[in-house]
Amino acid sequence: MKNLTIIVFIGLLFIFPLSSKESTAFESTYQPSESGNIYIKDAKIFTGTGSKIEKGNILISSNKIKAIGEDVMQPADARVIDANGKWVTPGIIDIHSHMGVYPAPNLRSSSDGNESTSPVTAHVWAEHSVWTQDPQMPLALKGGITTFHVLPGSANLIGGRGVTLKNVWSRTVQGMKFPGAPYTLKMACGENPKRVYGGRGTEPSTRMGNVAGYRKAWIRAQNYRNNITKYESKSDEDKELESAPSRDLELETLLGVLDGEILIQNHCYRGEEMAIMLDVAKEFNYRVTTFHHAIEAYKVADILAENEVCAAVWADWWGFKHEAFDMVWENAAIIDQAKSATGCAIIHSDSAVGIQRLNQEAAKAMAAGNRAGLNIPAARAIQWITLNPAKGLGIDEKTGSLEVGKMADIVIWDGNPFSVYTKTEKVFVDGVLLYDKDNPSTPKATDFELGIINSEEDRL
Amino acid sequence: MNSNKIIISLLFLIISSLSLSEELIFKNAKIHTATDRGTLENTDLLIRDGKIIRIGKNLTSSRAKVKDLKGKVISPGLIAPLSQLGIIEIELVPETRDDRSDIYSAGLSIDSAFNPSSTLIPYNLNGGITLSLTSPSSSGLFSGLTSVFSLSGSLEDSLISSNIALSANINGGEDSLAAKIQLLEDSLDLSKLVEPDFSFNGGSDLFVPEDVNYSIRDLLAIKRVMSKEIPLVVRANRASDILTLIKFAQRKDINLIINGAEEGWRVSEQLAKAKIPVILRPIDNIPNSFNELGSRLDNAYLLHQSGVKILISSHETHNSYLSRQGAGIAVSYGLPWEEALKGLTSNIADVFKISKRGSIKLGHIADIVIWSGDPLEVTTFVEEVYIAGKRIPTKSRSMRLKDRYIDN
Repeated sequence: MKNLTIIVFIGLLFIFPLSSKESTAFESTYQPSESGNIYIKDAKIFTGTGSKIEKGNILISSNKIKAIGEDVMQPADARVIDANGKWVTPGIIDIHSHMGVYPAPNLRSSSDGNESTSPVTAHVWAEHSVWTQDPQMPLALKGGITTFHVLPGSANLIGGRGVTLKNVWSRTVQGMKFPGAPYTLKMACGENPKRVYGGRGTEPSTRMGNVAGYRKAWIRAQNYRNNITKYESKSDEDKELESAPSRDLELETLLGVLDGEILIQNHCYRGEEMAIMLDVAKEFNYRVTTFHHAIEAYKVADILAENEVCAAVWADWWGFKHEAFDMVWENAAIIDQAKSATGCAIIHSDSAVGIQRLNQEAAKAMAAGNRAGLNIPAARAIQWITLNPAKGLGIDEKTGSLEVGKMADIVIWDGNPFSVYTKTEKVFVDGVLLYDKDNPSTPKATDFELGIINSEEDRL
Repeated sequence: MNSNKIIISLLFLIISSLSLSEELIFKNAKIHTATDRGTLENTDLLIRDGKIIRIGKNLTSSRAKVKDLKGKVISPGLIAPLSQLGIIEIELVPETRDDRSDIYSAGLSIDSAFNPSSTLIPYNLNGGITLSLTSPSSSGLFSGLTSVFSLSGSLEDSLISSNIALSANINGGEDSLAAKIQLLEDSLDLSKLVEPDFSFNGGSDLFVPEDVNYSIRDLLAIKRVMSKEIPLVVRANRASDILTLIKFAQRKDINLIINGAEEGWRVSEQLAKAKIPVILRPIDNIPNSFNELGSRLDNAYLLHQSGVKILISSHETHNSYLSRQGAGIAVSYGLPWEEALKGLTSNIADVFKISKRGSIKLGHIADIVIWSGDPLEVTTFVEEVYIAGKRIPTKSRSMRLKDRYIDN
């Protein structure tokens, strides 16, 4: 009898995985091809760790950075890239993209970013909407983007899971998924949810309605956890008599946040709303990893730094809605310099145009900060589009800076990346050269682009 | 003549010279003229009564205020072609928008709604914009008339030139492009029947479909296109659509400007031959619709190579000045730097016939920006702005917010 109970219990575990960590569906199948040894020689390097090497070398081996510095030995069998006069940075990371879920062309039939049918849709996953053949992705690759984070839209209070992707051509989403990247959950403050639902005469129609909506959702997640804990603490005999709490996709994701496995990416424009969201997080004992579109982060930069929350911002977008009215060009710089320069500033795009030149957006924000007297060297500002977004996504152990052992996600630029005139020359993802300005067949065109305006050609 | 009269005449002379002859010399500037003279190093600029009087070396004047720029950069003030500056504050707040109408179409003139105190104006001065071709943006076939405004902030003198172009849009909606071209043609023909005194000779049913309603005011605006008084600015991107419009403009004998032209590079020879200028957003290379699949970053360069006149615009009103960044990107894809600057300034003035603005030239109105460096570079800032020779205060709301919070 006892044995049977155990078998039944184990069986139940298989049928009903009780928390997010036990779900193994949709795992990454991404495998870079073998990079071999590549030796990048005599480059001016922003390491992404805050420092600059005036003339340095990088050795890539088996898809990883094997060595970096002024005197790295050149192995005999390495492919040598002379980068004299060129600049090298870590691969650029965009923490806020809708590529794949709002692809180009912009058509209703493939606009799959907002499940705007209910204010809490924690059960949906952005990766299930991604169209891998979005022609915006190779354009972003040419702009140096090696990793991007795709979020559901901001119509909902809790919009669903985001996914971190490598910017590689693939037939499947699984083939793009960043191996080992934690899942994320999109939340949205302010105007969007209240406009979408208030416009239909349903809750939320106010900011206080928004906050009630978040809290109600977290209370349900807590109850779900209590039910699971209660069930698991029962004796085997009792378990046999009762059925296990049934699996709930929505609450599984929320529980993943409470367990610290799923990172909150919170769209939030206003300063007071960010402070409220930090208190909601404290009430339910979870962490906000990053505030996105944080137009007013400069007003609460010290609070964000104290709470170790990153703020992802644009260099200069504003005025499209009321909560985007108080933009200042110095936002990123002020976030960065808060609490003795312990702030975490990120420049994001939310745009297929902007994602192609996050370097220029960072340049504008850095220049504004410096003009205002905040002393931000370029070697630090580059972190706003490399290491800091990697931190915000929980992948900073693997990428985001040029350090030994990390993924060889590397961009070679034809000049200073903080200039409007500078373009990428070569982009490596895991040491694999996916864009080379000297090779017109890179980046690989998407299926969509083949013969789209001329059957003999790719889209140009 | 008695001595009293002499004194009075002298006083009059002194007063008139004081009030009428304000002079200003910028010394030792790097002057981007946006003319065929290109860039002049280490040059002085003399401004009198708001006009550029002399450009040269070692200029002096006993009564001028002198400002040594020590090698700093001067350019003409930038012009925003087809923005909604002055008629919009916040995009998603309809009550702050005066750029659309369901009542009028072609005949909508936005002059009376222009707000010289808009928060967008000092903000965009900080990006180097001194003049806006402010245009309505209704979504029908015709969106209305464009007027030229100075961004001086003056409540009384901001309007420079009224109703200088008519905007139309042949994309969007669900009707066939063919139907829109037909309606465009019918509308132009119908406009012949209206007279400036608002009288009308004919039945409209003969010319436009039942659900199309034009007021006399709309038809009068269209008629000005027919008489070549003003150009028709049509938003179009697809190569074949551009060719259709070129033929249409030739058939109807009207002045055409293409706005968008993302696939312009595919028909650049035809555009050049027909002398049709294009308004580009060089930063946008996204194939956003099936009408712009051939969008690419070297479009400006390729069009220029063929001899097409290029006007450069930003893709958003709030940041109209980001046309600069687009121009810089176009340069990185091959467009000559001087052409890019003309695309932001003198080409716009030429194409829209805005007299004496858009370049640094003798006799021109002194709309001038002093920059910290290369005006197309993203790390460059505006230091001072002059409109008609007068220094314009540029402190924006955004700057005051920054000042309040930067030391928190």
